[in-house]
Amino acid sequence: MRIVVAEDLYLLRDGLVRLLEAYGHEVVATASTGPETLDALRKWRPDVSVIDVRMPPTQSDEGLRAALAARAELPGLPVLILSQHVEQLYARELLADGSGGVGYLLKESVFDADQFVDALERVAAGGTAIDPAVISKLLSSGSSHRRLDQLTEREHSVLSLMAEGLSNQAIAQRLFLSESAVSKYTTSLFGKLGITDDDNSNRRVLAVLTYLNKP
Amino acid sequence: MRQLGSWVASACTGFVRACVVVVVSTLVPAIWVAAVALSLWLGGGMWVAALFWAVLGTFAMSRPVCRMFRSLVAKWTGTDIPGGYREPGPVIRLSTGYWWNGFSYERNQRDAHKDQRWRMWLHDPATWRDLRFMAIAPVTAGVVAAVPPAGVAGAVLGLAQPSFVPRVVGVLGLVVAVASAPFAWRPVRPVAVRFLRPSPAMVLADRVDELTAQRADATVAQAAEIRRIERDLHDGAQARLVALGLSLATAEKLMETNPEQAKALLRDARAGAATSLTELRELVRGINPPVLTERGLVDAVRALALDSPLETSVSAEGRLRLDPPIESAVYFGVSELLTNAVKHAHATRARITITRDETGIVVEVEDNGRGGADERPGGGLAGLRRRLAVFDGTLELTSPAGGPTRARMMVPCESL
Repeated sequence: MRIVVAEDLYLLRDGLVRLLEAYGHEVVATASTGPETLDALRKWRPDVSVIDVRMPPTQSDEGLRAALAARAELPGLPVLILSQHVEQLYARELLADGSGGVGYLLKESVFDADQFVDALERVAAGGTAIDPAVISKLLSSGSSHRRLDQLTEREHSVLSLMAEGLSNQAIAQRLFLSESAVSKYTTSLFGKLGITDDDNSNRRVLAVLTYLNKP
Repeated sequence: MRQLGSWVASACTGFVRACVVVVVSTLVPAIWVAAVALSLWLGGGMWVAALFWAVLGTFAMSRPVCRMFRSLVAKWTGTDIPGGYREPGPVIRLSTGYWWNGFSYERNQRDAHKDQRWRMWLHDPATWRDLRFMAIAPVTAGVVAAVPPAGVAGAVLGLAQPSFVPRVVGVLGLVVAVASAPFAWRPVRPVAVRFLRPSPAMVLADRVDELTAQRADATVAQAAEIRRIERDLHDGAQARLVALGLSLATAEKLMETNPEQAKALLRDARAGAATSLTELRELVRGINPPVLTERGLVDAVRALALDSPLETSVSAEGRLRLDPPIESAVYFGVSELLTNAVKHAHATRARITITRDETGIVVEVEDNGRGGADERPGGGLAGLRRRLAVFDGTLELTSPAGGPTRARMMVPCESL
């Protein structure tokens, strides 16, 4: 994959580049400020990009804004946002256009390199990778909490993994279940929540996230 | 007919009020008249004693008379004139057994209080202002208020005479009394407002006292906060980094002899690093939430609302940016109020509105809980009030038993 890495701290940027290259990916450009990021995304249209939220010149949410601007120009451009902290607010903004190809993870998710690269590949393929911390907040926040009351505990954990962006196969692995058992749970929870099931797993995840994002 | 009735009523009340003003404002002059009369009557060297008693009487009467003026004005016109008297400081017992009242040491508590009262009275600029008012009131408000009673007196005396001229004078007196009655007492308000309110110097002195107390509060709170951060870092991240270094060193040593155990240690090290990051994130969030730096108050409050277990709606005007310290105080205020709504009021919904008007920013938080919030000293709400007070901000809380609780934070700011 051709990847753009945007991160203002040199050590982290360098580490990310090395990690990605170790997994056989090509880093086509790096950026360390918001405007540079936007230029790189426009110029290279990478298969996926890894972007830090807080960057110069303002040290506010430059990276996030660059990613949102690039996706407004090039719909569906896959971006994975990395941050020291995760906010539901930012997740909602990233997912608002409903076009997929979005990742939003804590920086320490790179500690597990296999899972991180997995997530990156999922985003590149148009899927999503949302940090468990965001998902658990999303599931427990005021409005969704009530609507999810009717789910069993097992359905609840399947739903949260699905919302993170995992496929049935990956969910089965994490929960030590068979794939057919997972699809049984998904069918029943979709029925309870009244979401139309979709064979395409990326579209299905988006449906779940849209459902959870409803005020 | 009704108009006439109301005019008669206002004339009557006016007459009574004018009489009251005359009586109150002549209390001190009456003492002096009595003193002069007494010294003339007794003659000789008695005038020294009379003068002494007149001065003493004036000093003693000035404050009660001024209080009367204030309460009369407040009762009749609704204008509240602050007294601006100094509050006595605490009288404390020292280890030597003596009592210190802020001015001097006394043998016992009673003497200390007595001495303090006397010195407070002497040092208070309000005392001299009151004395000045004693001289001003009779010749301004007093003279004008004396017109209706004087008219009535003239009428009574004049009409009692059988001849023509005094009778005309009597009729004229009656006309003047009746015509001036509704208005004659009114100058007491502007005179009292002008001469009885605290002088700018007194207002400033009060303000200095207030700011000194606030500064002390802020310093104590800040020191406590820094100690908390130090403790958290010391027991958390620092300790974990030491453990991390230790694990890595051991793993390095074991790499060749026992690779399996080295691998396990490295896994532990990674988990430890992740845990310390989580701790640091929580710590940072408590010092200054990152979203506040990145997005400003409105979006930070939105993020707070999203994370709250309550169904919370946020309405705000645009993306206003304020001074960072104010944003931080208001943010933590909202956070505190939402936490209270969950923990104490058992609410399920909350509504937050952020508005700005010409004087500053107003944030309202309303929940549907069971209300009955009380402000304990040292509690969360008291702390919130103190944090806002640093910026001259205020907190208004209405929380009847049974709910709902409505809190209104106001902070004046010029950066709007």
